[in-house]
Amino acid sequence: MDRRSFLRTSAVLTTGLAALAASLKPLLEMNDFPTMERFLQKYYKEMTPQDMDKVLRRIENEVEQQYGLRPHVRDLKPMNGVEFVYCLNLTRCIGCRKCVHACVAENNQSRDPEIQYIRVLRLPDGSLDTDKAEHFYAPDSVPEKGYFYMPVQCQQCKNPPCVKVCPVHATWQEKDGITVIDYDWCIGCRYCEAACPYWARRFNFTKPSIPKERLNPEMAYLGNRPRRQGVMEKCHFCLQRTRAGRYPACLEVCPAGARKFGNVLDPNSEVSYILRSKRVFIQLKEEMGTSPRFFYYFDV
Amino acid sequence: MTRAIRNYFVFLKRCAGVALEGDWRYYAWMGALAAICLLGLHAYCRQFAHGLIVTGMSDEVSWGVYIANFTFLVGVAAAAVMMVIPVYIYKNEDLHDLVIFGELLAVAAILMCLAFVTVDLGRPDRFWHLIPGIGQFNFPKSMLSWDVLVLNGYLLLNVHICGYLLYCRYRKTKPGKWFYIPFVFIAIVWAVSIHTVTAFLYVGLGGRPFWNSSIVGPRFLASAFTAGPALIILAMQVVRRVTSSSVLGADIVGGAPLPPSRRRAATLDDFALLTRYLPEIGSVPMETRRQILPMTEVLEVEPGDVLVRQGKVEDRAFFILRGCVVVKRQEGGRFRITRTAGPGEQFGEITALNATPRTATAFAEEPSLVLSLSAEALRMLMQFPQVNKIVRSRMSERLLITDRALMTLRSIVQVSMLINVFLLANEVFKEFYSGNLHVVSSKYLFVGLEHHHALVPWIWTAIAFNLVAMILLILPLSRSLKWLNLTCVLAIVGIWIEKGMGLVIPGFIPTPLGEVMEYRPSLNETLVCFGIWAFGLLCYTLFLRMSVPILQGRLSRENENAPDPSAGAAADAVTPQG
Repeated sequence: MDRRSFLRTSAVLTTGLAALAASLKPLLEMNDFPTMERFLQKYYKEMTPQDMDKVLRRIENEVEQQYGLRPHVRDLKPMNGVEFVYCLNLTRCIGCRKCVHACVAENNQSRDPEIQYIRVLRLPDGSLDTDKAEHFYAPDSVPEKGYFYMPVQCQQCKNPPCVKVCPVHATWQEKDGITVIDYDWCIGCRYCEAACPYWARRFNFTKPSIPKERLNPEMAYLGNRPRRQGVMEKCHFCLQRTRAGRYPACLEVCPAGARKFGNVLDPNSEVSYILRSKRVFIQLKEEMGTSPRFFYYFDV
Repeated sequence: MTRAIRNYFVFLKRCAGVALEGDWRYYAWMGALAAICLLGLHAYCRQFAHGLIVTGMSDEVSWGVYIANFTFLVGVAAAAVMMVIPVYIYKNEDLHDLVIFGELLAVAAILMCLAFVTVDLGRPDRFWHLIPGIGQFNFPKSMLSWDVLVLNGYLLLNVHICGYLLYCRYRKTKPGKWFYIPFVFIAIVWAVSIHTVTAFLYVGLGGRPFWNSSIVGPRFLASAFTAGPALIILAMQVVRRVTSSSVLGADIVGGAPLPPSRRRAATLDDFALLTRYLPEIGSVPMETRRQILPMTEVLEVEPGDVLVRQGKVEDRAFFILRGCVVVKRQEGGRFRITRTAGPGEQFGEITALNATPRTATAFAEEPSLVLSLSAEALRMLMQFPQVNKIVRSRMSERLLITDRALMTLRSIVQVSMLINVFLLANEVFKEFYSGNLHVVSSKYLFVGLEHHHALVPWIWTAIAFNLVAMILLILPLSRSLKWLNLTCVLAIVGIWIEKGMGLVIPGFIPTPLGEVMEYRPSLNETLVCFGIWAFGLLCYTLFLRMSVPILQGRLSRENENAPDPSAGAAADAVTPQG
């Protein structure tokens, strides 16, 4: 190789490498590079109890590091003989959105960008056509005349389209009827989000941010532990509470008593009573064949 | 075994060598593409670090221009079979040389598809969860898992077919039928499947009425078989333009018959001379040679003497005994040198055997000695298997992107475009005439909803382009390449809009809860798209750059030790045109 072509080749190579380095530079801004341990973490259903224990401790450490508060992370399993069902009284709901905010606080949802599991629709009396719904109603006081309110969240379908489409089994239905997500397995393709007929799924478009003082330290692996950038999340009937014998946060906060929750397999439960005694229920978009475990009803 | 591997690596090395050589136009083209690739990479790194928030997507419209491009490109990849079917099933010889280019386009398109899906992932670091065996593969329930299988399978199939055929060409051996014909047929079925599966990705979602329509699959195929061959028509003209030498020029004047002083009857010595360069002639017994002698003559030609003139019908074929003959072809009003033939090589045999008009003009470049035979004599020679084999294989070796091949593609585009427009009309009728609640998405797309009409100008542009392209295709006007090219560009752009953004975005608007939130791709997202398109073009250019000299016989095992053939190829830069 002569001097001239050597110089030319090295000039081209240097420029090329410099350009490549420049284009890779934004990677330095990455705040959440996956560690080898996280990268190789096993699928939820394939973890032994020991694996799970290690992962739970690791998550606690990570959360403590980030938020300065040691959380209590558990892997709560569904109970035998339990199938959860939600009933919502549309006559009573006043559209105050307290459930939305209680849910955000309980489930450690990102405040910026905002992620909420519950969307309250304001509908004109007499219609269930969601195309007529107002999502961002903001009157001085609720309820308003001529309207009724319909909170929508994950309907925990018996036949969930989101589970069917997930290419990596990152979301599945547990035997107590709750459809859960392994946040550490989701690849973020958002196919489930496209498949859900209730617009119940949310994506972490960036790293979620939760003020330190607002963190709820009582956490579950498949429930409200903080999520990472690029994964899906959604309502899981507050499984960190409900699998430990408590009511969901949205129910507890409801000032109108519109929300009822319980075990449909127990004939003495409140939900069993409601499903037995009320004449009309609405399962949203019943024609989809999704068979929701979320029932809307009226007092009359 | 080690020898075979070594040979293969020599092949790869020489291909790489050819790909790196070129004139300034080639370097400028590749440099520009590489620069755009890097811009895209930069944008993607930003997205990787900060998340998909740097795109225009939201929980309301959760797929955008990435998936739109993906959908379009799956169609382009699938359309490669539209070249394969006529060749292998209907034995259409016109398209023969285009098959490999079509399949290479499929390979490039699939690579782009995979890139577009990858950049759409929220957690690309978890890609391994998708790998059957080590990950969790939701097969056969998830349509996305089907897509992973069919796309990667299609990639492998096409890489195998192209790679095998090219390597055989390079080694000048006949491809073993069992090594590629079964794969060709699998690829044909597979191509339909990749696009059907991609359509099912949308069709299977009951919660999205805009997609949940059984016509989406057929529409996908129709639009793919329009846009794909249209893209190939354009690409092939670029290839044709740049593979022939840049020596353009006027037609060769002259061509008066050679004076008798420079023609003489052939002798057995002439055959002996030919055998030196073409050993296969040795298999012809003396007796036959003697029989042929009266039908042959030897021409002593001077530079510029025309031996064969394009368009004429004659029955003579030629073998070069000494010197060099240049073959020029007239294409769309220009003259291009298609090849240079040396001792032992033949020309004019296609016309002699098929009694079709001469496909090119041939003239001597230096003082040469040429053996001229009648068609009958050539047929007698070709009764001997060895001669037959070499003559036939050389005929097929020649790269012929003829106008007829382009016209065959035109008729594919023509029919598909008609079907495509028909199916679109079906869809529009069903949506608007029945007028049920599900029409909202279509309303958003075609006329807009109150304050939201971002897609309206786009979709009407697409429809206008498609209709104009359809009319042009019906008119004989599009038989001229200039109009055909315009038609192809209109069809490609129209379909890209209609089946990309025009299909993906309205599916999300309004949301299942009736919220209308519009989508506009962000700058960062757009740069990523440009980067991936540049990457695809870069790949395709490299593929063509390597395969063209192999198909033309300029890069082969025979000239492994010869001086670098790329020196001769330097003039053939694959540059952007058209």
